[in-house]
Amino acid sequence: MRDLKHLITFENLLQTANNALVAQAKSDGKVCVAYTCENVPEPLLNLGDCCSIRLFAPHTGSMDIATYYMTNLLCEPSRALLERAIEGGFNFADCVITPDGCTMMNRAVENMELLHTMGEGNPHFFHEYMEIAFKNTESDVALAVLQCTNHVLKPLHENYGVDVSDAAIREAVERHNKVCRLIREIGEFRKGDKPRITGYEFHVLCLATYVCPKYLILDMLEETLEELKTREPDDKPYRARLLVVGSEMDDPGMIKLIEEQGALVCCDRFCFGSYPGRCEIVLNDEEDALTQVCRHYITNCQCPRMMSMDKVYGRKQYVADLAREYKADGIIYQQVKFCDPWAYERTLGSAMLHADFGYPVLSVDRPYNIASSSGQMRTRVQAFVESIEIKKIQRGEQA
Amino acid sequence: MKKLLKLPLYLLLAALGFFVVTFTIYFFNLDMKATSLLAPWLEKWYDHLERKQYI
Amino acid sequence: MKTVPKVVNPVKRAGEQSPGKIYDEKLKVRARREWRGVKDTFYDYTRWLYLIFVLARFIVVPRNIKGFFRYRWMMSYLFVPHGMDKFTIGLRDEALRIAHTSFNFVIADVTQAIANCFRGDRRVGNDKAYSDKCVITDENSMVTFMMGFDTKKVHTILREVPTMFASNIFHQFNVMHYLDIAQQYGIPGDVCPMPEAEAGISIDDDFCVLGSCAVQNNTTCDGSLMGNGIIAKRLEREYGIPTFQLATPLRHKEPDVMEYAAREIKKAIAFVEEHTGEKWDWDVYFAAAKRVNDATRCRIAQMEINSTPYPQFFGAAFSLYNDTNYMGNSGRNADFVKIDHKLLKLAQRGYEAKRMYAKEYRHRCIVWGVQPQYVIDMLYWMVQCWGVMPLTDMLSVINTEMIAEVDTPENREQAYRDMAMLNMEMIMRNHTHGGYKVLVDELWELCEKMNADIVMMWEHMSCKALTGMHGQFEEQARERGIHIMWVSHDLCDPRVFTRQAIRDQVNNYMRTVMREEPLDPSLENIPDNEAY
Repeated sequence: MRDLKHLITFENLLQTANNALVAQAKSDGKVCVAYTCENVPEPLLNLGDCCSIRLFAPHTGSMDIATYYMTNLLCEPSRALLERAIEGGFNFADCVITPDGCTMMNRAVENMELLHTMGEGNPHFFHEYMEIAFKNTESDVALAVLQCTNHVLKPLHENYGVDVSDAAIREAVERHNKVCRLIREIGEFRKGDKPRITGYEFHVLCLATYVCPKYLILDMLEETLEELKTREPDDKPYRARLLVVGSEMDDPGMIKLIEEQGALVCCDRFCFGSYPGRCEIVLNDEEDALTQVCRHYITNCQCPRMMSMDKVYGRKQYVADLAREYKADGIIYQQVKFCDPWAYERTLGSAMLHADFGYPVLSVDRPYNIASSSGQMRTRVQAFVESIEIKKIQRGEQA
Repeated sequence: MKKLLKLPLYLLLAALGFFVVTFTIYFFNLDMKATSLLAPWLEKWYDHLERKQYI
Repeated sequence: MKTVPKVVNPVKRAGEQSPGKIYDEKLKVRARREWRGVKDTFYDYTRWLYLIFVLARFIVVPRNIKGFFRYRWMMSYLFVPHGMDKFTIGLRDEALRIAHTSFNFVIADVTQAIANCFRGDRRVGNDKAYSDKCVITDENSMVTFMMGFDTKKVHTILREVPTMFASNIFHQFNVMHYLDIAQQYGIPGDVCPMPEAEAGISIDDDFCVLGSCAVQNNTTCDGSLMGNGIIAKRLEREYGIPTFQLATPLRHKEPDVMEYAAREIKKAIAFVEEHTGEKWDWDVYFAAAKRVNDATRCRIAQMEINSTPYPQFFGAAFSLYNDTNYMGNSGRNADFVKIDHKLLKLAQRGYEAKRMYAKEYRHRCIVWGVQPQYVIDMLYWMVQCWGVMPLTDMLSVINTEMIAEVDTPENREQAYRDMAMLNMEMIMRNHTHGGYKVLVDELWELCEKMNADIVMMWEHMSCKALTGMHGQFEEQARERGIHIMWVSHDLCDPRVFTRQAIRDQVNNYMRTVMREEPLDPSLENIPDNEAY
């Protein structure tokens, strides 16, 4: 296929957290709200002149200083973020809002706070920590509303004078939805037998919507969508269509590696992915917007820290539904090394998706930066793709 | 009657015997030494039991 | 660096001077028991007899024999006397009596828990009527939500305690099998081995199956929360036992989580009522609340004694007794009150007599982090070998607030918040969760309060909440002039760190950093790596 016009621009934007668009947003007078977890309602971080930037640490190499502070037993993303923060890579942030979602990420941010890695010279800079919901109930919605009020809206208003009214939230949701609609429409092109976008390209676009100010990439996304409508797909068949599920993944290199083995990543269900992070938030006029936003996040949350059994079973059903919708031949359950929640979720999910739903599943752990150790992963994906092909042949289908 | 008079003596002897035996077991840790001999056999027993293993 | 005055014991210890001699590497148990002088040896012997009686009384019941041969973890039951010896290494006088009084009671309590499990277990006793009145709870869970249920009518079954927790204390290798099973099914080896072993037990189908319902909790950590899903799936889908997940907020010091936590307690109570058919009784609750307060007062008094130069109730017995009383009992069992007061009386007597349990106390130590279960005698060893007196451990630094204990309409609402507070402030998680202040800042406050010059930091390598603050501990200890002695371990997997590997970390620190010689060189190297 012909290269997408803006792909290289997006790829360049993903080379560093403090990218050109973040710098532009700062010069536009925006309040850069840094966050670290998908459980924080994103539209609330984009109220008024705020723009949310999800922290990531591309091209992570050495993590020696962070390892001193947190030992080598904590997950690599948490250490990579701390290392990058210590290096000054997140100095653009005007505040950091983090939920007590998983212990390791929470500790990373606490270390950032104790080491004063950000906010130098900014008297309004603040760190906020939130409790987040565990279950899908109205009691949890009430908890989320209170937490968002106390730890997002109040500090944003008090420190930066941000308008946190119902109207402002609705407006932020509308802007958020616009990005979601674009990403989802683009993602639809992965469904066909001859997809017009690869999994890698899609992940680059989707990732950019988390780590760049959204208002600065809208035009490029719209143009990309138009371009895809007429893009001529490749004639070559893919060896297998794969759904990638799992923990935090902000490294398109991982998707690239999978696709280099002849597979197509037809759908993404991971943190930083489009499911459920880029699902539209539908608001009604009967209830206040904040409650509805919180309910959306709780209902749609696929994070393994949601502990009630309806969520435990529901997460597997969600993956199976996506696999069916996107006609996946197999599923890769991936977990970034030392991630406790996904260690268990991967184990149970890969067992259930195979036993209860009949999908071939590859269950792997991976480093944060796949470039640091790609050989093993390449071999495992290769073997998995081959096993799917063999099964197809055995079933009499065309491989 | 004579036998009855000797009862406390028998009881005392029995108590003394009980003390000597149990204290010997206690002090020389014979209870745990015997248990440690039993343990490998028990492990084999548990290994051979059929279990419905799945996740 | 901070220093504390050395306290020298003017009295020579009765009996054996070097308990290290009783270990033998050819045996997997000790060569013999410790000679503690006539009086204390006889006392220890009588407590051993009592223990044998408790164990024998349990095993003569036919269903318990059946259970013994069904469940692998029951092997540790045989090693209870061996375990008890670990709790009394080098102890004499009041400390010996305290260790026996507290731990024999805990053992009797756990033995009863096993008997209850077997009675209702579908595979063993299969007493359905009894099982229908049982509620399974997590091992690492406050049972406050059961405080208002009559213990004669509804039975709280902490089935993971004998299966995993106690099992690992008495027999260091017993949990390895379950860890292997869990990892064989794909759970990585880097997660906390405690919930991993529990998941392994479930996968291996080695839990007793009983109860009308189960209540799970997220109290300890991400691993514990996640392991629940695997266990609940089997309970619900295979055995038809409904489960309730009691969500406990992590940021427990923030007032804005309290109402949510209280609502969760209410839901858990309603769930238990629905499935057992029994009603919550406020009289029962407030009676239990009084006992909780009583236990809190006793614990505070014990801590005050430990703040003096003559601590009495310390080490593993202190920690495990507090765990059992605070978490597994939560005021429900009136017998704990008698034991609490007996222990306090013994401690006061020991303090007044200025009893010491080593030749000298060179350092006053706060033990922070989570203790490995298979080296449960470590703290006694530390004081005997190096004169480092453990004043308290992190798990014993728990709630000091009184809860409402008088039945009034207002207090009935307050009661939910009290239960929620206790639940959120469960042992360990009240420090490992809730922000760095409760983990780091509170440690320094405690060092100040108890006049400690050294912190022994258990670095449980899979406890991400603790290791995530490693650098902060180091730097802040340096600023405050407090020695920090890191001791790494893997909680319940002796393959990662053997017992001697754990002790060697202390040996090395004391020799190289503190430049000291051991008080009792016979203890520096103990050949017990292969012992049960």
